[in-house]
Amino acid sequence: MRYFPALFVLSALVLGGCDAIMTDTPPAGDDFESPFDGLSNKLNAVFIEGDENFAKAFTIEEGLGPIFNNISCEGCHPGDGRGSPELGFFRFSQGADLALDRGGAQHQDKAIPGVPLEQIPAGVDRSFRLPPPVFGVGLIGAIPEATILANEDPDDADGNGISGRANWVIPASYVSPDHVGGGSGAQLGRFSRKAQVTSVLQQVAEAYHQDMGITNDFLPEENVHAQAGGIALGDNVADPEISASTVLETVLYVRLLAPPARGPITPQVERGETLFQQSQCATCHIPTMRTGPSPQAALGHVDAHLYSDLLLHDMGPGLADNRPDGDASGQEWRTTPLWGLRLVPDFLGGKAFYMHDGQSTTLHDAIVRHGGEAAASKDAYLGLDQAGQDALIAFLESL
Amino acid sequence: MLFRILIAMLVLAAANVWGQEKDTPIVRGGIGDKPFIKGTGGRTFLGGYTEAHFRYEREEGITEELTFDPKRFNLFTYTPVSDRVRVASELEFEEGGEEIKIEIAVLDFEIHPAITFRGGIILSPLGRFNLSHDSPTNDLTDRPLVSTEIIPTALSEGGMGFYGSIHPSAQGRITYEVYAVNGFNEGVVGGEAEGTRIAAGRGNFEDNNNRPAWVGRLGLSPRPNVEVGVSLHTGAYNVWEADGLAVDEKRSLTIFALDWEARRGPFELLGEYASAAIDVPEESAIFQSSQQGYYIQANGHFGQGWIGQLPKGHFTGVVRYGTVDFDADIDGDSHRRLTVGINFRPEEEAVFKVDYQRNWHRDAFDNPARGAAFLFSAATYF
Repeated sequence: MRYFPALFVLSALVLGGCDAIMTDTPPAGDDFESPFDGLSNKLNAVFIEGDENFAKAFTIEEGLGPIFNNISCEGCHPGDGRGSPELGFFRFSQGADLALDRGGAQHQDKAIPGVPLEQIPAGVDRSFRLPPPVFGVGLIGAIPEATILANEDPDDADGNGISGRANWVIPASYVSPDHVGGGSGAQLGRFSRKAQVTSVLQQVAEAYHQDMGITNDFLPEENVHAQAGGIALGDNVADPEISASTVLETVLYVRLLAPPARGPITPQVERGETLFQQSQCATCHIPTMRTGPSPQAALGHVDAHLYSDLLLHDMGPGLADNRPDGDASGQEWRTTPLWGLRLVPDFLGGKAFYMHDGQSTTLHDAIVRHGGEAAASKDAYLGLDQAGQDALIAFLESL
Repeated sequence: MLFRILIAMLVLAAANVWGQEKDTPIVRGGIGDKPFIKGTGGRTFLGGYTEAHFRYEREEGITEELTFDPKRFNLFTYTPVSDRVRVASELEFEEGGEEIKIEIAVLDFEIHPAITFRGGIILSPLGRFNLSHDSPTNDLTDRPLVSTEIIPTALSEGGMGFYGSIHPSAQGRITYEVYAVNGFNEGVVGGEAEGTRIAAGRGNFEDNNNRPAWVGRLGLSPRPNVEVGVSLHTGAYNVWEADGLAVDEKRSLTIFALDWEARRGPFELLGEYASAAIDVPEESAIFQSSQQGYYIQANGHFGQGWIGQLPKGHFTGVVRYGTVDFDADIDGDSHRRLTVGINFRPEEEAVFKVDYQRNWHRDAFDNPARGAAFLFSAATYF
């Protein structure tokens, strides 16, 4: 009996949540899957629902496939960050033709048992894409169109060799004007590697449909499988397999994902930031854009430190995929936001993969692969001494 | 007229009943015509066990569970029908009745002291833990990872076969069990979204592919309190033929297990290793074809007589380390667990357990996640 008080105290300690015993939370801002601070209880509740949707892994009985790339959102975006090359896939099309009747514009590299694998048709343009991170899209969507367009310089009027331009895209018909990027006529493309997507709703609905083979109220029919020979009629689950509300919860979830906090600002990082400016990297990787009004207070009238102008730039033949996408040519890419670079390896098992194809495993290599409009900046970087290059990398690794 | 006919029929029926022996059943073999009811002297024994948990689990600082869990209430029956015929069963109520199943329902016929036929719903002899998994006998609250994920305890299947023991020396013993069983079903690869999960292929109470699987265990005990067991479960799990036509590739699942147990004085050393080789559909590329895991556990009993009112009462300190690798072909997709526990048994058949678990998960990208759990549970036979 004399031991019971000690046992009681131990139990009380554990129940009291002693962090050392029961694990503690990672430092705030050190992840990609936290919501903005100060959300209402209702928004927090929807965020949690959306988080569960994002992690939800679909079974064959629930409608996975018949052809697909992964079983869950999180399967491609671990920790809500970017994926690795083994999670990447090809997008394909032929000129302006998205090859929808031949299974385009995305290649599903997996199939449920009994269904033949999809093959990329011969003669099409193909582009390998790494899954991008999903945090921060709410802020990107809240940046006023005029703010983005103010940085356009399609004819390089200022003569600095850099000429950003917008990708104007016709959104899917189900994206209503209530959504950023919705409505009739061409809208400003903000999302994805070539800014070929105008709204988060379209991105999420297509991700369910294309990436997982999960039909939904917005896209209620299964993917075209041109090589199935009439076998892959479906997955024997009634369509649509999820409702519009599930898609919309997931949309709100990703919009409410906050970018991670900056890492420590050391003298080396400060020097690197100066060199980043002097090398004209910041001309395209614009450090900050101010958001406009937003239905969610956390997203409205705040500075988004994304390090991107969200515009298309000719990156030269070295990075070209030679596959046009909307108005974007085969050599043009949207400036990739750099926020969260410091945490990339933390959610990929300690490894890092950069650029649209994930073929760069170091930031140095990613910079060196820049060409076209970014060639001068790359040359400026290569012209730095070792300490300068290290400082610039240290700055990037602080974002 | 109709009323008169009805009355006449009732009278005839009554005369028929009164004309029979008073113990003639209304329905032969019906609910009132069971052998154990006819028999006298209480030859069917009724028992069972119950267990209740309190669970406090956190992962990366977030509380995942803080709940009371009325885990199981299981009923046993055992009937020595004759000197050579025995019947045993276990009816399980789990999570407050959320899952109810007949875990065991076997008929044993002793052909020879070394050979007994067994048929029915058998507890598969795949690892020692599956054969002895009742909570009151276990010294920790949770079952070992390998014994839930690779060997999906409690694994019971429809089947028939033989078991027995031979005694090659005065101290030594060899036990065996071998059965043809219905095996697993397609749930192995289609039942859980995470990929291959053997537990999701259980419940094949009618063979899905008309081909039996085989399961068996050989136990070698050179002397009392020491035993090493080797087990194997193998067979096809999917349907590859229908109406005489080939409809799929034949895919098999083979599980190998090695278990050990040694007792000396107040100490015990237990453990089990299991590996599974699974033929998976290649086109899906989401299923794991090789899984494995093990656990090793040390127990030490102490403190008998410390509590005067409970002279049989004693404590047991327990340390267990276990791991399961859901995809042995890659880094990651694994779970490791260290458990430290202490329990108190006021009687041998009842136990109060306090456990602390530390868990280390690795996802398929080899990203780590830490978890911990504090568990209190009580279990007893009755």
